[in-house]
Amino acid sequence: MRKISFINAQNTAIIIFFIGVYGLCARRNIIKTIISLGIMGGGVILFFLSVNRTAQSMPPIFTEEVAVAADPLPQALVITAIVVGISVTAVALVMFIAMYHKFGTTNWLKAMKHRKDIGI
Amino acid sequence: MILYALILVPIIAGALIYLIKNRGVLWFAFFLQAALLGLSVYNFVIVQLHGPYDIVLGNFSAIAGITLRCDTFSAALALLTVFIYFVCFLFGILEKFMNNLFIFFFLTLQALIIAIFLSRDLFNVYVLTEVSTIIVSVLIMYKKDSSSLYDGMIYLITNIAAMTFFLFGIGFIYRLFGTLNMDLITSKMYKVQDVKALALPFAFLITGVGLKCAFLPLFSWLPKAHATTSAPSIVSVILSALYVKSGIFHFIKLREMFMPAINLDEIFLIIGVATGIVGFILAMSQKDIKLILAYHTISQLGLVLVGVASGSQFSYFGGILHLFNHAIFKSLLFLAAGIITDKYGERNIHKIRGVFKKMPYVSIMMMAAMLGITGAPLFNGSVSKFMIESGVHGRVLEYEVILINLGTIISFIKLSYIFGGGKGESRIYVDMWKKASVTIMGIMCLAMGFAGPLFISSIFNYRIDFSITEYLKNMIIFFVSLGGGWLLYHKYLSKTKFIKNGFALELGINGIAMSMTAFFAFLVAAVYLFA
Repeated sequence: MRKISFINAQNTAIIIFFIGVYGLCARRNIIKTIISLGIMGGGVILFFLSVNRTAQSMPPIFTEEVAVAADPLPQALVITAIVVGISVTAVALVMFIAMYHKFGTTNWLKAMKHRKDIGI
Repeated sequence: MILYALILVPIIAGALIYLIKNRGVLWFAFFLQAALLGLSVYNFVIVQLHGPYDIVLGNFSAIAGITLRCDTFSAALALLTVFIYFVCFLFGILEKFMNNLFIFFFLTLQALIIAIFLSRDLFNVYVLTEVSTIIVSVLIMYKKDSSSLYDGMIYLITNIAAMTFFLFGIGFIYRLFGTLNMDLITSKMYKVQDVKALALPFAFLITGVGLKCAFLPLFSWLPKAHATTSAPSIVSVILSALYVKSGIFHFIKLREMFMPAINLDEIFLIIGVATGIVGFILAMSQKDIKLILAYHTISQLGLVLVGVASGSQFSYFGGILHLFNHAIFKSLLFLAAGIITDKYGERNIHKIRGVFKKMPYVSIMMMAAMLGITGAPLFNGSVSKFMIESGVHGRVLEYEVILINLGTIISFIKLSYIFGGGKGESRIYVDMWKKASVTIMGIMCLAMGFAGPLFISSIFNYRIDFSITEYLKNMIIFFVSLGGGWLLYHKYLSKTKFIKNGFALELGINGIAMSMTAFFAFLVAAVYLFA
């Protein structure tokens, strides 16, 4: 039973976040880097949703039942974070397309080498 | 109302200018900057007289609402932002690149920077920083050539990753404190029983902000982004003189926020000294004039960090004064470098010669900035460096600060060779607007040398006892290091391969992400071990 209680939303969020960080550290594909950023963002969103939430808490809208309402603020924040995340991903992908037209590669190392050849 | 005006007027004006596709709007933008300058001076005076004030958006309580807080420090930074923007508009008023799209981005960035300085709500800081990151990367790759696309891409990805770290930290903070208002969190901080519970939020937030401030392992993105080839020089000015200050401002605020529970000043001092030293070593070995200046931003930020974290009140205020001074001389250096690279079509300092013959006026102003950054007596850098040094008097740190200054002197000796040579060359015409903008900044370099202590004591209401004999002693140290630096450069350094061929320490995206993770892990371990 104790093992199961370890698998909660917060620990999962931390693990997902660091899977994204691993992707940033270890992948050389530019698209995969952008996806890793998305995974990190997903972990953060899960974390925010689980803040101050218990299994019994209800949505904070008008209901007949009497119960503990979930904290609405993190959910409001998460909507903003999701919107920011989407726009950031869109901008990154657009920039990647522009970069691909110039460099012709999806590999960071090749792009870096190309950049060095151009010089300052 | 004034705060709303300072934040909203640039955005609305930028949108209007974007819609009206007419060259005349540039003058409108310029006069708008003049009006904003007047407004921010008025705001600064009001805060001086009546004390700080808060605005909570939508009249919610401070716990739930989004707070804008205007104290003297924030008001001074807002004033600095508008002032540097004013000078940039003065500089670029005849330039071709100042079209309506560029002005739209440029003015929006101004509003965001002012809002970052005024905001006291962590989530608001996150959103503002994220949006400004996107705008900055668009400005970096504005001309869309190959090199700037790569630089902009690296900038965007690393900064967004850092802000995701920051956002995760905000989540932890909200879970622990139930609010996002930094002032309320500070007042609750001393109640925290288990400091180890703060390890993760602390490490997440400081890693996010640390990348923005370009601390030691995390600086690799900065030089390329600030010195990118295709961006106009006023973009370099805004990035290097202003935008990094938003990071260091929030670092100072976060450090104060965690102060009752976590005090890692010793570690920040080591990071600061290392950042300063690595910054000048890399600056010395560069050939590109803008890259030298960009690496010096890193070095000077390290110096600010040393001042802030040294534990002495005098050094703390010296560090904050250095933040303002750095904004002034670095913007002048980038403006002058912009004129030089435009006229010569060349960025390699070994190929640029005879600047003094060709542009005597700009050269004199640039020398004022160089005297400022190296801490020459009577110029602005000397006062703040003197304050940082005398606060740590008698500690090892004092010598490290002198060492960082020596490095700065040596690399500016290297840079100053561009003035000499060029016999019999005729003068190059520089338009009066550019001359006016560098003149304003040059005068400010000298004026802040005299008014610096007064300025800092009016911001923080702290009386500064300025000992003249100590200052004279400092002058002697400056001249000794100037002579020593000159000898060292001529006799030894200029012949080494390191200086001749140049040296680049450049990490790819994987390297930056690794160093970020390592920095994060290091901070978590430090909280567990030392706090």
